[in-house]
Amino acid sequence: MKSKTNKKVIKAAKETVFYLFLTTLIAGVLLPVYFIVSLSFLSTREAYQYPLPLVPALKTDMELGYGERGYLLSVWDRIDKEYQTVLDTADLEKMEYYIKSQLGTKITEEELLFETSRLENSDEKSVFFTKPRALLNNYDTFFRVTRDAVPALIRSLQIAALTILISLSIGGLAGYAFARYVFKGKDTLRFSVLFVRMFPGVAIALPMVFILARANLYDEPLGLSLIYSVGAIGLTIWITASIFMGIPESLEEAAQVFGASKFQAFMKVTLPLALPGLAASAMYIFLGAWNETVAAIILTQFKPTFSVVVYQTLLGASGQVNLAAAGGISMALPAIFFTFFLRKYINRMWGGVKV
Amino acid sequence: MATLEIKNLTKKFGRKIIAVDNISLEVHDGEFLVLLGPSGCGKTTTMRMIAGLEEVTDGTILIGDVDVTELPPRKRNVSMVFQNYAIWPHMTVYENISYALKLKHMGKSEIDQVVHDVASMTNISELLERLPAQLSGGQQQRVAVARAIAVSPKVFLMDEPLSNLDAKLRVSMRTELKTIHASAKATTVFVTHDQSEAMSIADRIVIMQDGKIVQIGSPEEVYEKSANLFVADFIGTPPTNFFDVKLKKTDETLHLVHPHFDLPLSPKNTTLLQGYAKEHLVLGVRPENISLVNEQAKIMSTTVLVVEPQGSHQVIAFKLDKDIIKMVAPSQLKMNTGATIHLNFKQEALRFFDPDSTLAIGD
Repeated sequence: MKSKTNKKVIKAAKETVFYLFLTTLIAGVLLPVYFIVSLSFLSTREAYQYPLPLVPALKTDMELGYGERGYLLSVWDRIDKEYQTVLDTADLEKMEYYIKSQLGTKITEEELLFETSRLENSDEKSVFFTKPRALLNNYDTFFRVTRDAVPALIRSLQIAALTILISLSIGGLAGYAFARYVFKGKDTLRFSVLFVRMFPGVAIALPMVFILARANLYDEPLGLSLIYSVGAIGLTIWITASIFMGIPESLEEAAQVFGASKFQAFMKVTLPLALPGLAASAMYIFLGAWNETVAAIILTQFKPTFSVVVYQTLLGASGQVNLAAAGGISMALPAIFFTFFLRKYINRMWGGVKV
Repeated sequence: MATLEIKNLTKKFGRKIIAVDNISLEVHDGEFLVLLGPSGCGKTTTMRMIAGLEEVTDGTILIGDVDVTELPPRKRNVSMVFQNYAIWPHMTVYENISYALKLKHMGKSEIDQVVHDVASMTNISELLERLPAQLSGGQQQRVAVARAIAVSPKVFLMDEPLSNLDAKLRVSMRTELKTIHASAKATTVFVTHDQSEAMSIADRIVIMQDGKIVQIGSPEEVYEKSANLFVADFIGTPPTNFFDVKLKKTDETLHLVHPHFDLPLSPKNTTLLQGYAKEHLVLGVRPENISLVNEQAKIMSTTVLVVEPQGSHQVIAFKLDKDIIKMVAPSQLKMNTGATIHLNFKQEALRFFDPDSTLAIGD
């Protein structure tokens, strides 16, 4: 009886340790993500508070009284549990701007006028009012204030699409050749396609500036996608070659015997079977091109990519962490969507090609 | 259906490797021809050249009197069953069978008709909507065969189609392939390294070694009249027993002298060896041509080494010096290891080979 209880205790202890470990692991992975998501919804005032609020407020409680220079605006602080004075001004326009930009709260000129007249007409020292938060304020500001965020987003999508197109067509064909044909210098080539990946973007960026400038592709999406393709092709060859090797040649030969041309056999048999591998490559290429910043900073001037724009919001006097977070999330979303879009194929990739 | 003719076909890989060395053969209309040989003998390469999957280094291939040597596979009107079946895994059984027909621009209802015909012929009618991954090895094999006969080709090629099946299924599929062949009347070339498969399925067997054709003949011919030592050894289980013997002439009869026996030859065999000038030759005796006799009729006596019961018969092994000799005896005879047996050879079935050229003497 005693040993039975002991066993139960040991089992419970083991499980506890296991779940503690698991929780720590998950927290380690998810907390930073949670942090940046939550930060992207905080108002500027909240973002610079200490300790940082865990969740953004959904409404703002404000108090309007009389100050030395005019009206005195106070805001309810969720942490200190008191109204804190934030502004003393007679300029209503300034106050409206402050509420919108710093407190991330929806208010109109009329509403503010209404509150001031309510204060004037009452005997109280102050009036209280509550306005809803504009949760997407940071995103709105990011795209409105940041110099050409939207065109940069479109450019980044263009670059990613172009890079996928170039890398998949060249890399995929090369991967097919590596998988199917025997030719001179195959081993050397196999190594050298990965060799180009050993050079960091920064290292080759400067010569690239000259080369692209000569080709009239400096500060052009096509130029950047060419640069990204250099590394992406190597990776694509690597992935697709192993995929094509996993597809028996006899499947294609059978198609040829049964009436298909070499091209038809490839399109109808090999390509559909290679789709998971191609999708995985496409995902890698997309993420690489989409997230790349260093080379993009060097190789663009008036036409920055989205990652450059996000990077810039972190710098300089205009740098605001909540804006940068909103930019970061805006940048992550397309990558997440794209990966989910390809999920079906990627999952098949984990299981390998079944033939 | 059509005839298939191969003239002086040669295939070289690179400069040095000669996979197929100047072979010629003809497959008659509706014939079931088996290319047989050990791995690396060039039989699969030959078949792939017929299919058009391998370029021809030299020589011509004629299908129904049309030179197809330079044509791509799709224009040769052949079909093929691959060793690994090569069924397209992303298509259903129906799509697998109908794909070739679609490429031929056949009408939808006609395709449907053909698919159902071949499916019932190969016993896969209820599997048409399945994907290959949901089929057993034997079923995949049937799909591959159905796909191949659906196109009603001029020549039907099979590249070791049974080698991936388990032993029992392999034997039953042999019978089925033979039945299908009988009803489809397709000119067929079948590649295998399994001699018993070849023997049981073929109209004629082509035995290849090192890229050359060694012998062409019916299963009986290659078994009873093996053209050389290689064929005699390759065909038959257990294989032919070989004895290095000396020729000795006493009176009018020839004697074959071996350390363990002295065999006087029958008049017919004596005539056969009349023209043979050398002193040494190799005597080939099939296991069933060694007979157990009483002491008076024996040419040698020995003790049993191992008895291998086979049900219908038994294989008795004994040792002569270093060589293990195998013979076949009815299973009714009680045999034990160590028992003394008296043996003689059946004169009419003896084969003689030249030890230098390895060729059979007297054919």
